[in-house]
Amino acid sequence: MERNQMHKHIFLMRQSFFDQGLLDEQFIQLEELQDDANPNFVEEVVTLYYRDSSRTLLNIEQSLEKNPLDFNKLDNYMHQFKGSSTSIGAKKVKAECTQFREYCRAGNGEGCMRTFQQLKKEYAILKKKLETYFQQTRQAGPSETACRPRMN
Amino acid sequence: MASDTDYDSDGMRDNGNGGSSEGNGRRRRHPMMTWRNNLRALVVDNGRICRIMESGLLDAYGVEVEAVGTGEAAVELIASGETFDLIVIEMFLPFMSGPETARTIREMGITSKILGIAPMYWEKDAQEFLAAGIDEFLEKPFTPELFVPFLREIDNQK
Repeated sequence: MERNQMHKHIFLMRQSFFDQGLLDEQFIQLEELQDDANPNFVEEVVTLYYRDSSRTLLNIEQSLEKNPLDFNKLDNYMHQFKGSSTSIGAKKVKAECTQFREYCRAGNGEGCMRTFQQLKKEYAILKKKLETYFQQTRQAGPSETACRPRMN
Repeated sequence: MASDTDYDSDGMRDNGNGGSSEGNGRRRRHPMMTWRNNLRALVVDNGRICRIMESGLLDAYGVEVEAVGTGEAAVELIASGETFDLIVIEMFLPFMSGPETARTIREMGITSKILGIAPMYWEKDAQEFLAAGIDEFLEKPFTPELFVPFLREIDNQK
């Protein structure tokens, strides 16, 4: 694919993340921190997020298998997970975290389990899309435009 | 940008005693804002990603940042004589909680602006944090829209 076309494709891909509600403005804050001294900052932070959070999700998964459920522990894990998800702008994932916490507060184990399944789904979807995005961004190389495209 | 090599993924030092901070290894060449005074901030957050973003954003806005993963490390740093204009503390820290950290810092006679932050909370959590001595409680994400007014206030008062 010709280079300009590649960049256009990447631009549209990125825009779709916001249009579909996968990412929010916090992702733009993350992008703003990328500069010549840290040219891969966004990808590095997102990679770190997926690495760190996979352990938290495993902890939650294991905690959900216990009987009775320890809602306090689940809440603490989710607090941590929501913090990092919020930091990278993972909007849909963040929403599921909030829902999960509501169910924890209500002591609703089934609600927690159902929400957790949805959360894992959103988490995986975002991961796959961002992996593709970063891969294509690397392949395309630096853009010739002076300004980074903004959300709106 | 603050490095993060000294911490495991939970932001905890192996010895569990807090430990050294991550300072600004590199100051941004062209910060988004400049201040009349040299502003220093301490970020206390056990979440590694959160810590990177919070300290990264403050750095981008012209603030010299130290970042630690525990309340104990924050208290140790302050006790060693380090001074900060702004202290940002996550509410749910392991071991010494956010409110406990804020209370301890205030008991040390520190009058710096302290902001409490959390990604989600119940009202009673916020009240507990405020009662512990923070100046303001903010919901994450920690964005420039939230922290720049405080930096402006601090800069004007220095």
